[in-house]
Amino acid sequence: MTASRLQIDHVSCYNYSGVVHSSYNELRLTPLSTMWQQLLDLRVEVSPRAPIFTYIDYWGSQVHAFDIHAPHEALTVIARSLVESSGQRWEERELGWDAFARDDVKDPFAEFLEPTGCVPADERLSEIGSTLSSAASPSDAAAEAIKWVGESLTYRSGTTGVHTSAIEAWDGGSGVCQDFAHLSLALLRSMGIPARYCSGYVYPDGDNRLGERVAGESHAWVEYWVGDWIAMDPTAGRPVDAGHVLVARGRDYSDVVPLKGIFHGGPTSSMDVEVFLTRLS
Amino acid sequence: MGDLLDSYALAHPHGRPAWDEMFASPGTPRPRTRTLCETLQSLSAGELEARAAQRDRMFRDRGITFQLSGEERPFPLDLIPRLIHEDEWQKLERGVVQRVRALEALLADVYGAGRIFDDGVIPRSLVTSSEHFHRAAWGIEPANGVRVHVAGVDVVRGGDGHFYVLEDNLRCPSGVSYVIENRRMMARIFPELFASHRVAAVDSYPAKLLESLRASAPAGISDPTVVVMTPGVYNSAFFEHSFLARQMGVELVEGRDLACHSGRVYMRTSDGEREVHVIYRRVDDDFLDPLQFRSDSLVGCPGLLNVARAGNVTLANAVGNGVADDKLTYTYIPDVIRYYLAEEPLLRNVATYRLEVPDQLEQVLSRLDELVFKPVSGSGGYGIVIGPEASDEQLEVLRRDITTNPRAWIAQELVALSTAPTWVGDRIAARHLDLRPFAVNDGNDIWVLPGGLTRVALPEGGLVVNSSQGGGSKDTWVTVGAARRRIAASSKSTGQSGVARPNGATSDDRPAAGTPVVVPDPGPNWEDPDRLHQQERQQQQQQQQQRTPFGKDRTGC
Amino acid sequence: MLSRIAESLFWIGRYVERAEDTARILDVHIHHLLEAQLESEAELCGVLLSVMGVKIADMAAEELTARRVVEILAFDTTNPSSIVASLVAARVNARGVSEAISSEMWEALNVTYNTLFTESGHGSAFTPYAFFRFVRERGAVVSGLIDSTMSRDDAWRFMVLGRSLERVDMLARLLAAATVGPEPDWVVLLRSVSAHEAFLRTYRREPEGHLAAQFLLLDRLFPRSAFYSLRSAEECLAELDPRSARVGTQDEGRRVLGRLRTTLEFLRVSDLMSDLPELLPELQRECGAASVAIASRYFRQTNVIEWTVERAEFDVVQPIGL
Repeated sequence: MTASRLQIDHVSCYNYSGVVHSSYNELRLTPLSTMWQQLLDLRVEVSPRAPIFTYIDYWGSQVHAFDIHAPHEALTVIARSLVESSGQRWEERELGWDAFARDDVKDPFAEFLEPTGCVPADERLSEIGSTLSSAASPSDAAAEAIKWVGESLTYRSGTTGVHTSAIEAWDGGSGVCQDFAHLSLALLRSMGIPARYCSGYVYPDGDNRLGERVAGESHAWVEYWVGDWIAMDPTAGRPVDAGHVLVARGRDYSDVVPLKGIFHGGPTSSMDVEVFLTRLS
Repeated sequence: MGDLLDSYALAHPHGRPAWDEMFASPGTPRPRTRTLCETLQSLSAGELEARAAQRDRMFRDRGITFQLSGEERPFPLDLIPRLIHEDEWQKLERGVVQRVRALEALLADVYGAGRIFDDGVIPRSLVTSSEHFHRAAWGIEPANGVRVHVAGVDVVRGGDGHFYVLEDNLRCPSGVSYVIENRRMMARIFPELFASHRVAAVDSYPAKLLESLRASAPAGISDPTVVVMTPGVYNSAFFEHSFLARQMGVELVEGRDLACHSGRVYMRTSDGEREVHVIYRRVDDDFLDPLQFRSDSLVGCPGLLNVARAGNVTLANAVGNGVADDKLTYTYIPDVIRYYLAEEPLLRNVATYRLEVPDQLEQVLSRLDELVFKPVSGSGGYGIVIGPEASDEQLEVLRRDITTNPRAWIAQELVALSTAPTWVGDRIAARHLDLRPFAVNDGNDIWVLPGGLTRVALPEGGLVVNSSQGGGSKDTWVTVGAARRRIAASSKSTGQSGVARPNGATSDDRPAAGTPVVVPDPGPNWEDPDRLHQQERQQQQQQQQQRTPFGKDRTGC
Repeated sequence: MLSRIAESLFWIGRYVERAEDTARILDVHIHHLLEAQLESEAELCGVLLSVMGVKIADMAAEELTARRVVEILAFDTTNPSSIVASLVAARVNARGVSEAISSEMWEALNVTYNTLFTESGHGSAFTPYAFFRFVRERGAVVSGLIDSTMSRDDAWRFMVLGRSLERVDMLARLLAAATVGPEPDWVVLLRSVSAHEAFLRTYRREPEGHLAAQFLLLDRLFPRSAFYSLRSAEECLAELDPRSARVGTQDEGRRVLGRLRTTLEFLRVSDLMSDLPELLPELQRECGAASVAIASRYFRQTNVIEWTVERAEFDVVQPIGL
């Protein structure tokens, strides 16, 4: 897809098996405005109703924060956004490995080189990284790394959870988009290539008509820096295009959690998230 | 002479002569301590013992105690004050003020534009890899620009007589209540010492702190409600929290007393909710807001950070200050001072080596048995290795550790901590000490409490000033002018009422064995196993918070 | 005032009074027990423990000795209503609110605690008699300091409220224990609540059961009587919330206490002894009800809240169709 205007409806419903007396929440559901992606409209509604406080966090994501103190047994969050995307672009620049060893190059990207909880350092992975990096230029090695991840993991949901680390997913041999992204980050960072986690939505492949409301998903992919930031979708094994809507970037999933909250009261009995995408042009 | 100071010997830790705060050489007091020395010479061991007993009794009765292996001990205040003359103090004071100004600038920059990284003075990775760098605090603008409302700068005096900074404390530095209580106690048990000295008063601290807290209130609040927030009674610094609240005349709240809604924070009172504008919080960052940090915190209040972000409450000290007082950052502070203030540092750092620099690592590896090694991460100074005191095996382990992970350690030259005469139960002997001056920043001025907390290592030769390892404290006097004869200006789900009712008690029912029992209402929180478990965790968390200055290992090396 | 602090003050009032009153009750009964026949000792001990709220169903008869009773009711720290446990609880509460009470009060409670634990090693160094006297003295010191060092503000009111409620409850227990078994020594009983002399001045004769009960429950002037204490409690509540409704009262605690006070006030004196077995449990029950009502009105949400983390989306998200 080269250019698109997409409407995204992201509906989350939480049902509790008892009364919740109070809850505090933060949403990171707002598509970013970038060089190639424009947020045209956004509406966020929560039920029970609550005043919403918004701010931009450290990573540049827009956060909607709210708290509810009326006793409730269900919580619904509806975020509807309208985004125009021309597809992410980058400049191909050839940088040698020596550049990646220089402090003045590395330091600005320090956070995207360090291991995190979901993207730990791992010796076996480092070996694979050094094999790749010894055979090719940084940008080719990075592309190889993405390919390697696609071959090392099978897409299967239910085998991993939100706190599964890249290495655990790798050992298990399968995972969802989040695990593909984490494993890519782990491998890229082991080679000294700055890499960051991206969350958002992707317009499903297939023969969808304009104006048709199709079921979509939250999605995750990565961006890595080899002279410029390159966006790759390791789950699909291809570059990110205008069908991808970027919401947030961070070191790993925990920096971009779409709905983060705590509450006091009965446990969550069920949770239902639906994402619908409508292509308007 | 035959007095208590007759056999006083100077200390030479690891072969280096230590500076003595009272004696220039054995038997020769420094000019400004001569008066104190003479007073001490006029006393007998019996008199000192009696005063020590009086001191313990008074501390214990007033509940000024600390916990040691489950037992409450009276606070260990040494009977002999430490004297610092104002000439010397003013230099130290200026150095502390300078340091706090630079640290404020550093924090503003780190949680803002990051100019210092772009200019290459300190690497960005230094900050981003710090566990105390809280990205959730990014974008919170303190109302009057102050992040370090209270700082404690730990200094030691080396063998050359100069003060060296050992560590900055910008999170919840504690110990100031002991400074004030020590002075009050000394005035009671040793009034004659004050008669011959003019000593700068310390009891204006709470008023200064309150002034600074009020000055930091959100914009537009002319009469702010200030509170002190404590993890609870089981925290080892609880005495101080309670002391400060009482002396400032403000409420002492726990997390459970606060509630955030719709962008404001309130405390729950018997008369409804009341808005709070400034929180002097003594709860660690990690436990402060379960929405942003540890969700299992029982001692915090969810939503606090976003209220601060919205500009409706001021958290003092600011969240995330730990990034500027961590051990690796410490090594850059002289550069930080030059960068922001364009001044030369007035106080020296202890010479420190960064082991990720190959040249420095090499040099350090050849001097393992001379230097002091501190792990960079982890607080409390656990894992410190003092080269000259370590066994060969320990040094071998250390060599392996720092070779494989040089970034995890810093190495420092050993400083022979200065000593002062200390009452050790039956005599007066030289013991090592350090000093924590306290600075309060109200946005216009940085004020330093004259004196500060002197901690003393009680075991002979000991360099660890930790009360759990036999550390004590001294009243620290900043003396004014020449010593002279002049009086100094010292100065629960309310646990169900639990009343089971005597079933069908009739007129001839007489309570006897086996009849229903009316259990006295045990009060909140008795016996409910869930609650007990929760209480245990709550206690643990209260204890995990930053402790008294004595709850930390500290070596003056 | 913070709800949590109000609650602590209320309970400091109750705990200190409870410790003191328990000491008073034990003082009378230990005396009594020592004089009793060996075979009736177990029965009397059982009665005393039951009245004081200790479940004795699973205690063997040979455990029911005077010595054991003292252990349980005076020194046992695991029995929440023992004297020592009450004093510890009072001190823990005072520590948490020490900035809200006078420092003398804090010191008084702290010194009491130190004497129990630090110096004499768990109070057991005391003889029972000396111990009970010590507890009564400390109670008097604290009470005196409440009255002499605290402003008559809400802090004082919550404390006096707790003290008054506890006093009624404990008086009911004292009488319940006394009216079981052999005719009690009314002089000793009155003395135990420091009422003997006041009684003599009022009635000018040696006490008999009905007069003693009348004095302890109904006297309008004696400060440890049930009537007097209920009225104090009611006054505290009235001052805590001076708004008065045109009809009835909005304040459930005040309603319960007022009704109880009226019951006593308009009781037919000649029926007192026969009403006693119903009246005493009622006093305890209604004090409990008042305590609950006060808690729900003034001490809402003083507990620690545990938070649950909301589940995250990727835990349940369906796979993207590839």
